Amino acid sequence: MRYHKILLTLAFVVLCGFNGKAQVTAQRLLEAEREPQNWLTYSGDYAGRRHSTLGQINTSNVKHLRPQWVFQSEVKGKFETTPLVVDGVMYVTGQDNLAYALDSKTGRIIWRYRHPLPEKIVGCCGRVNRGFAALGNKVFFATLDAHVVALDAKTGSVIWDVKAADNSKGYSFTLAPLAIKDKIIVGVAGGEYGVRGFIDAYDAETGNRIWRFHTIPGPNEPGNETWEGDSWKHGGAPAWLTGTYDPDLNLTYWGIGNPGPDAYGDDREGLNLYSNCVVALDVDTGKLKWFFQYTPHDVHDWDAVQIPVLLDLEFKGKPRKLLVQANRNSFYYVLDRTNGEFLHASPFARQTWAKEISPDGSPVVLPGTDPTPDGNYACPGVEGGTNWMSPSYSPQTGLLYVAAREKCSIYFNSPQKYEEGSVFWGSSFQPVANEKEWGALRALDPTTGKLKWEFKYYSAPWAGALSTAGGLVFSGDMEGYLLAVDAETGKNLWHFQTGSPIFASPMTYSVNGSQYVVIPSGNALFSFALP
Amino acid sequence: MWKNLHNLMEFKFSICMGINLLVVGLILMLFPVWIVATVDSWIGDQEKEIVNPYANDSEEIAQGATYFRLDCAFCHGIGAQGGGRGPNLTLGRWEHGGTDAALFRTIERGVPGTEMPPSVHTNKRIWRLISFLRSVGAASQAPVTGDRESGKNIFLTKGNCSRCHMINGKGGRLGPDLSSIGTSRSAASLADSIRDPVKEIPKGYKTITVVTVDGKRITGVRKNEDTFSIQLMSPNEKLYLFFKRDLKEIIYQSNSLMPSYGPEMLLQEELEDLLSYLDALRGK
Repeated sequence: MRYHKILLTLAFVVLCGFNGKAQVTAQRLLEAEREPQNWLTYSGDYAGRRHSTLGQINTSNVKHLRPQWVFQSEVKGKFETTPLVVDGVMYVTGQDNLAYALDSKTGRIIWRYRHPLPEKIVGCCGRVNRGFAALGNKVFFATLDAHVVALDAKTGSVIWDVKAADNSKGYSFTLAPLAIKDKIIVGVAGGEYGVRGFIDAYDAETGNRIWRFHTIPGPNEPGNETWEGDSWKHGGAPAWLTGTYDPDLNLTYWGIGNPGPDAYGDDREGLNLYSNCVVALDVDTGKLKWFFQYTPHDVHDWDAVQIPVLLDLEFKGKPRKLLVQANRNSFYYVLDRTNGEFLHASPFARQTWAKEISPDGSPVVLPGTDPTPDGNYACPGVEGGTNWMSPSYSPQTGLLYVAAREKCSIYFNSPQKYEEGSVFWGSSFQPVANEKEWGALRALDPTTGKLKWEFKYYSAPWAGALSTAGGLVFSGDMEGYLLAVDAETGKNLWHFQTGSPIFASPMTYSVNGSQYVVIPSGNALFSFALP
Repeated sequence: MWKNLHNLMEFKFSICMGINLLVVGLILMLFPVWIVATVDSWIGDQEKEIVNPYANDSEEIAQGATYFRLDCAFCHGIGAQGGGRGPNLTLGRWEHGGTDAALFRTIERGVPGTEMPPSVHTNKRIWRLISFLRSVGAASQAPVTGDRESGKNIFLTKGNCSRCHMINGKGGRLGPDLSSIGTSRSAASLADSIRDPVKEIPKGYKTITVVTVDGKRITGVRKNEDTFSIQLMSPNEKLYLFFKRDLKEIIYQSNSLMPSYGPEMLLQEELEDLLSYLDALRGK
């Protein structure tokens, strides 16, 4: 009898302990590195490094890696998601705003949720979603019809669902939200539809909006004068990829997308702030602390939304808090993240549009590279020297890994009047005939941007990178290979044909002592481990 | 128990009544449409039921061109000749059907699983877009005047086309199967490919030579390629499948394995006969 009581008490303690752990506290998110078995945020940590300290899969045994399970979504399309894993449960978002909780050992569904979407979605680039944020006992995602939704992490029940903007006017969400403290932060997409971009913070408990940062300043706000006439009203500047966060500075960093109309800039003369910038916002108030513009008055659709990676490194002999970004305009940038000071830029992929980047960080643009009615050739192409796929930084090698695209475009333009809910592109782009595209996974020195090695791909890639303490970098290509290379040398050590182009970045987790690597491919999710 | 069954039957009955009423209602509602559709269906098959009310009207075509630039050119290119994301729409090759009805459906609903989204346009606007598309692919509607029987003869004998092209299960394998080429390509674009095959070599037929590590050279058409492997077919129709690590060199060639049928090989009249035969190939 007494033993029973002890056992009951023990069971109670264990269960409570487990329940307590299932709560993703703000503190756990800050210290994500301490629990490498989990993957708690889109980029794996607040610094945007997409690095794991798991090392069970390493350079000598990776050749034995094999699929453990495959999960297939019931809708055709593509996963662009990075799954989260919290204490053995995987949270996945998919095409058409489907969402699932899976057993991360088997891929079996625990719950499934489908956000009700209107029949017509106004959005540019596929009915995709890039993932969840986790906080407390909820998971959060942002939808194609511009809602932010909080689900119960154990059941998938809707806790709250708020409409952030009107999708019929082109506002939508494709990104994974960022959970900081008690807030859920999201940035809007719609740069091809003449939206006025914003970044929102919502109360994780109630769904009430705490602040909104307009990525285009309104009248009487500094920066509004960088837009000709009323062009600011439909100037785009979305923020469609998850930002990063420095808890010491209390700043969150977000890349801002292209101004609109994309290719026609004559009706929006000026720098067009804060399009193609990185902005540093106070987490509590959403107030702008500083900004840096990569491509002023962009006419090539070179959104600057790529993950701003936060690194504490020695720069020219002095320890500095850096923000680095391999930008869609094919230049790699190093900034001081305390104040936005420009420190360095150098190309990481072929570019023909700028002579150089001046010491103040602004590009010296070459003539004949802007869009015209008859077309002009420029590199990178409209999809950029890289795009939304994640870079990765390994503290082990001290290298930054970037998926580089070698593809140019012919850029056209023509004037365009804004029409609500219609594409606002100001013309078009064409591939270059007889110029074979290709790509590479490139390892850069993060302070100098110098190329350490590259692994060449047959086509320009859309898959991001994951580095691990096993001395490996995982990435994927357009022909469907998930592959692992040596993080020091770039030598290919393993590959697996998944059967569909890969439009996602890999992640890793561990459960019951086994390390898994996950890659979405097509409408399937593959999970690999050692035998 | 009986009562329940009775209730169930009553319930079923009322559903049937409901559906019947709904159907009658729909028929009444659609009656005017039905008359128009029926008139059209006398002319052709069911797919032709819906036709473009703005076909061949130059003003509507100009309107359509404007809409195309705004809404389609981003993916399909400025002149509809293909862009970074969408295919060339000027060749008269319609992956998802080439009738007015099929084009309307493709534009209206999009193509699930691709980047082609459902349209946000009014029907009127969609028809104008189709008018524009027909105008840029105008050659596809140019009448074909040659002699079909003579064309078939040229295909089988003088042209020796069947050595590499299969039609309805007969012929070679090195080039594309032509059994339904008449539905997917215009006579003008076929003429281009016959006179000057290099101009546009379709995916899967580009010429390539690989050199194996032991020095063997194999030339053929490239069926597929990726970062780690390559697949090709040699002119004697053998498939060669390689890991790139087993190859010393891959040579990408700009020529086509199909010979150019210039006027010295094929008179203009013979070409027209051949086109007439090919244009009539509409599958089984």
